[in-house]
Amino acid sequence: MTEQIDKALAREYEAGFVSEIESDTFPPGLDEDVIHRISAMKNEPPWMLEWRLKAFRLWQEMEEPEWAHVDYPYIDYQSISYYSAPKSMKDKPKSLDEVDPELLRTYEKLGIPLVEQQMLAGVAVDAVFDSVSVVTTFREKLEEAGVIFCPISEAVHKYPELVKKYLGSVVPQKDNFFAALNCAVFTDGSFVYIPKGVRCPMELSTYFRINEQNTGQFERTLIVADEGSHVSYLEGCTAPQRDENQLHAAVVELVALDDAEIKYSTVQNWYPGDEEGRGGIYNFVTKRGVCHTNAKISWTQVETGSAVTWKYPSCILKGDNSVGEFYSVALTRGKQQADTGTKMIHLGKNTKSTIISKGISAGRSNNSYRGLVRMNPGAEGARNFTQCDSLLIGDQCGAHTFPYVESRNPSAIVEHEATTSKVSDDQMFLCQQRGLDAEKAVSMIVNGFCKEVFKELPMEFAVEAGKLLEISLEGSVG
Amino acid sequence: MSTWLANAIVRGTDVSDWLSEKRQAALGKLKQQSWPNRKTEAWKYTPVSVIDRGAFSPAVNDVDANAAIDAIDNLDASALVFLNGRYCEALSCKTLPEGVSITSFHNASAAQKEWALAQFASVKPDRHLFGLINDVLAEDGLLIDVEPGVQVTTLLRVVNLFSEGIEAHSRILVRVGKGAKLAIAEEFTNSTPSLNTSFAEYVIEDNAELEHYRFALQTGSALSVGGGHFKLHDHSKLHSTLVGFGSQLSRVDVDIEHAGQHAYAEKNVVYLLDGKEIFDLHSTIEHAKPNGTTEENVRGIVADQAKVVFNGRIHIHRDAQKTLAELNNRNLLLSRKAEVNTKPELEIYADDVRCAHGATVAELDTKALYYLQSRGVSRQDAQIMLNFGFINELVDRMPNEALATWLRSKLKVRFAQMKVSSPQDALVNS
Repeated sequence: MTEQIDKALAREYEAGFVSEIESDTFPPGLDEDVIHRISAMKNEPPWMLEWRLKAFRLWQEMEEPEWAHVDYPYIDYQSISYYSAPKSMKDKPKSLDEVDPELLRTYEKLGIPLVEQQMLAGVAVDAVFDSVSVVTTFREKLEEAGVIFCPISEAVHKYPELVKKYLGSVVPQKDNFFAALNCAVFTDGSFVYIPKGVRCPMELSTYFRINEQNTGQFERTLIVADEGSHVSYLEGCTAPQRDENQLHAAVVELVALDDAEIKYSTVQNWYPGDEEGRGGIYNFVTKRGVCHTNAKISWTQVETGSAVTWKYPSCILKGDNSVGEFYSVALTRGKQQADTGTKMIHLGKNTKSTIISKGISAGRSNNSYRGLVRMNPGAEGARNFTQCDSLLIGDQCGAHTFPYVESRNPSAIVEHEATTSKVSDDQMFLCQQRGLDAEKAVSMIVNGFCKEVFKELPMEFAVEAGKLLEISLEGSVG
Repeated sequence: MSTWLANAIVRGTDVSDWLSEKRQAALGKLKQQSWPNRKTEAWKYTPVSVIDRGAFSPAVNDVDANAAIDAIDNLDASALVFLNGRYCEALSCKTLPEGVSITSFHNASAAQKEWALAQFASVKPDRHLFGLINDVLAEDGLLIDVEPGVQVTTLLRVVNLFSEGIEAHSRILVRVGKGAKLAIAEEFTNSTPSLNTSFAEYVIEDNAELEHYRFALQTGSALSVGGGHFKLHDHSKLHSTLVGFGSQLSRVDVDIEHAGQHAYAEKNVVYLLDGKEIFDLHSTIEHAKPNGTTEENVRGIVADQAKVVFNGRIHIHRDAQKTLAELNNRNLLLSRKAEVNTKPELEIYADDVRCAHGATVAELDTKALYYLQSRGVSRQDAQIMLNFGFINELVDRMPNEALATWLRSKLKVRFAQMKVSSPQDALVNS
């Protein structure tokens, strides 16, 4: 890891930051001074700086968690640069010819249009790509409905009251090591506010804000759905992203007030490293939502990328009759490691949660489900159903399940089931007998295995997620 | 650091006998361990501070006049008695089944010592803190050896008795020779204030069969931490039953290692908790070799303000192809203040396996209750019937009928003490 960082750093220096280094990219290291500078860069009000500093001081006291079933070299947090301005046009690849052909092959298979390919690969396309107008149209439509959707750095200035009220209300600064780090150094992210009773007219996606990309490795998202509102938010991209960052420590906070509903879908396909496990993203993310009375939060995730994933999208079911859902497909191959799952904390009466997790391990990867279902004494009549299925492809991988069940209310019902198996020989035989080759057969069986989760995804996402899985599984059979 | 642990380490330094080499190794590991707190994963839900609060004195060589063994009707058994952690010949059965040799640590022959040194603390993994303490402080123990091919029909009852205020550490090391068969029951029944650690290691050789029972029926302020550790060789069979009542601290660690191929293990666990009792079971099944089978059923009822902790781990190693492993944990919660913490874990590194686990926590099925009531059974009786039936399914699986009958009578008494009325009553009555 440090080697990778060193390499990355060396490269940036090679790129020749001579006079601009002071203003564009901070030298590696983290202290209060760096946080002052990040805050100053963003022209933040004093309360925001104070908030960051508090987080930083807490972080210094904390230890990096070691309980996850993942293994990665020691991260030297002082060797990372905590602010890097977006790459200027001249540093970007001039055309697709300069982009890794492997990456392009994947885009091709996913059927991504050429302009989008260029954008995803980070080609300097701003003059060509006509997305700006698209973005503006969407913005106007949203404004009409009263929906706020903007970078969080902008929200700090424009809507300080909302940000002050909700930032850190679900994931407090001291929540965990990575969240504390994020609180101290986050550079940007999305802020969404849906007013009372409004049904967001379209699915929101970070995709629409892609012109403001490069929010850095410490992204922060805050979504507030006011009473009776509804929003569906899509995060990520189905195509692998060119990204020079090694460590991603993002935080996502969702607040669903009375009768509100938030649906949060993620397709994560960061660079997983090569077959030997060199390189790749460390994805250490804290995602959590709080549900007030009759509210509902639904997390859907398809995780196929990153070298190491440490991610537990959770729901705090605070209000009576609130509902939490978690649908997940996690696929690991090569030497990828994923430790992912959810927490459902039932506080209110008649709260309900559903957890469907599908883990697929291939190659020499390790895939773990780690979850917690807690029924507090007040969770009268609460209900949970959990199903975790793992599929193993090849005899060098691992699939693990670590579910915690804590119940303190007799009227609450908790059910947990987990199974692990391989792709059955019978199914393979049936498919092959009907003329499918082994690879196609596996891909079809895996797709069926994941169906329960895919059907929760917005349509176009579901189609791409299926394709993505197919591509990821290539070469893992036989 | 706990003063009790510090004290135990000091005492351990003085123990000197033919097992010293093993004890010193354990002492070294013990010194590196820290006293469990809420952040210690293996002790997350179970506080051990109660050990420091109690004042216990190490066992002395005496005979307690009150010591008596529970008589079990129609049972063909030989009793082996530990009094305060020391093997008590006076209370133990003089005649032993043929082909079984039983020797206390003190009287071991050179050959036995050689074998025991190879096995002692090797079946039991190092990670158990109290296991290490037991390695160091269990001054007396039994070596039980069943000759190859011998089918022992008489049950060996290892009865553990404790006097008030005593701290005791006992150990047994059992070998079931190739093709042999043995049935053994470890019994703990006291409720007097005391502290004991009791660990048992079993080596089940090729084609051998072990029928095992552990009755962890201590209650009240009898603090108990113990373990049962099994090593299964090729084609061996284990049928193990664990019954637990809770006390201020009642903890059992179970490890079953499939060290040979085609081994079969069935483990059934029942717990019934009341008052402010705690029962904590950590079980680990290691499938190190191919073609093994494990079935684990864990069921319990938790009433009043009691707390149960169950951690059931199944670990399938890289080579253990064609493994079948199933674990099932079902809990009935009877009160608003009771607590269930369960964590069934699967850790799998082989692809051609079939593994599953399940866990449920709920109260009694209202439909079943309604069915019985609609047929004229009183609500109270219906609740007892359903609760008993829930547990009895596993009691029925005990191969020894006389023991099962004895256990049912114990459970009956327990049910009568427990507040079996379910929380639904509060709703019905209000």
